[in-house]
Amino acid sequence: MDPADPQGPARGEDAERMRERLVKVSAWIAAAHAGDAPVSIAALCRAAVVRLGVDGASVTAVSGPVAREPVFASDEVSARLEEFQFTTGEGPGADDFRLGSPMLIPELDSVAGRWPGFVSAAMAAGARAMFSFPLQAGAIQGGVLSLYRARPGPLGAEELADALVFADIALQLLLDVSSGIIGSPGYQPLDGVPGARAEVHQATGMISVQLDVSLEEAFVRLRAHAFASGAALGDVAGDVVRRRLRFGP
Amino acid sequence: MVTSVDERLAQTFVELADTLVAGFDLMEFLHTLTERCVELLEVDAAGLLLADGRGALRLVAASTEQARVAELFQIQNDEGPCVDCFHSGQAVIIGDISAGDVATRWPRFAPAALQMGFAGVHAIPMRLRDQVIGTLNLFRRAPHGLDQQVARAARALVDVATIGILQERAIRQQELVAAQLQAALHSRVMIEQAKGVLAERHHVTPDQAFLILRRYARNHNRPLTALAGDVIHGTVDIIPDSQATTRPTPHDEPGNSPGPGTASGARS
Repeated sequence: MDPADPQGPARGEDAERMRERLVKVSAWIAAAHAGDAPVSIAALCRAAVVRLGVDGASVTAVSGPVAREPVFASDEVSARLEEFQFTTGEGPGADDFRLGSPMLIPELDSVAGRWPGFVSAAMAAGARAMFSFPLQAGAIQGGVLSLYRARPGPLGAEELADALVFADIALQLLLDVSSGIIGSPGYQPLDGVPGARAEVHQATGMISVQLDVSLEEAFVRLRAHAFASGAALGDVAGDVVRRRLRFGP
Repeated sequence: MVTSVDERLAQTFVELADTLVAGFDLMEFLHTLTERCVELLEVDAAGLLLADGRGALRLVAASTEQARVAELFQIQNDEGPCVDCFHSGQAVIIGDISAGDVATRWPRFAPAALQMGFAGVHAIPMRLRDQVIGTLNLFRRAPHGLDQQVARAARALVDVATIGILQERAIRQQELVAAQLQAALHSRVMIEQAKGVLAERHHVTPDQAFLILRRYARNHNRPLTALAGDVIHGTVDIIPDSQATTRPTPHDEPGNSPGPGTASGARS
């Protein structure tokens, strides 16, 4: 992967800024791999710890309200924080999916009333601040990226913007693991959800009906088709919406 | 009987205030707001852009498909009155897009807007203290500006929109604003996904699917985003002639725990 090569002509300052951030974070992740694939959840968590000024990072795959599966935790405390959330049913990662919004808790102490079981266990384990990012695109729910700090304090604006990009890439990785695209030559997790046109989401809904599958699976199939045919995701989605391409019967 | 702009504005505030209380749905609120802008301010289309947590502008509501295209065109090219308004924090008022200096200033936006049939545009910043969080943009097909009374009403509507976006929590930190906008953008994506599901089920276009979705939400007093989730998870089936059947499910109230993930789990 050569993240330093911007594709195509500049598409404006905002798009450019966003792409620069994506390229930057991707390079961080690629630099953090150790033994595992250059683009992996493990590398992503390690890079997040180094670059976001946190003490630990973890990704948990979530499907439905009860199925939570830890994918990677950068340290023992992160692993235990995930475990506490699972056992108590409390905590920022357990609450995330209701709102689809990141849960940013600069002082864990301040939410003890809300999650009494979780907060006392988390603080005993050594966490003082937690930042939880749902890996989510509309109704597609892939999991959660959790960061913690051993000292209280908020994420800075720059760190927060970077963390959102880490979360975007983590969702891509989770979905692409299930489609088997990951590990293919030329794989890049950059063709992603956040910048996707409305048609990508509409096509995902249409494919889910055509195949009678979940949105997650429909989205994976859409991406796999684009990857296999070498077409841009938006173009394939446009074909689906205009009924030039149909999945399944 | 002709009612004044001020009277109609007052009625709109009452309506919007109603939506701010029980079952508040940000996306529904913003869609209502863009529609009221069109009716009240005598413009032909309205769009609303918000900055997401990554500093990029996103379209969250548009009264018409053409406003949607005009807004997305500007975001994509990073050029146009709405983008300038966002970066400068100042209102940008263009009475006549076909004027020569407009094409010089925005060589891509000006011809595209004229081709879409727009002759005038009025972009107003949405401010939270020092921060510009987005812009409300009004498009006209006739080449003249807004009169002063209408411009004042537009300003008031923008303030209401800003309050609506921020009302769920007391905002003390920039991080919280980012979180809030992130949630709004997720519901936007969810509505697009639901449009696709309905379009395929009923063999209609995504735009027609959206009208069906909104009508049902209004008739049944359901927040748009929650209804979109129900459509996606198959717990409600909307029939286009506005009759609908609800399949009985163990968890009929998706607003309650265990959350919107239930139905997708039960489905597979």
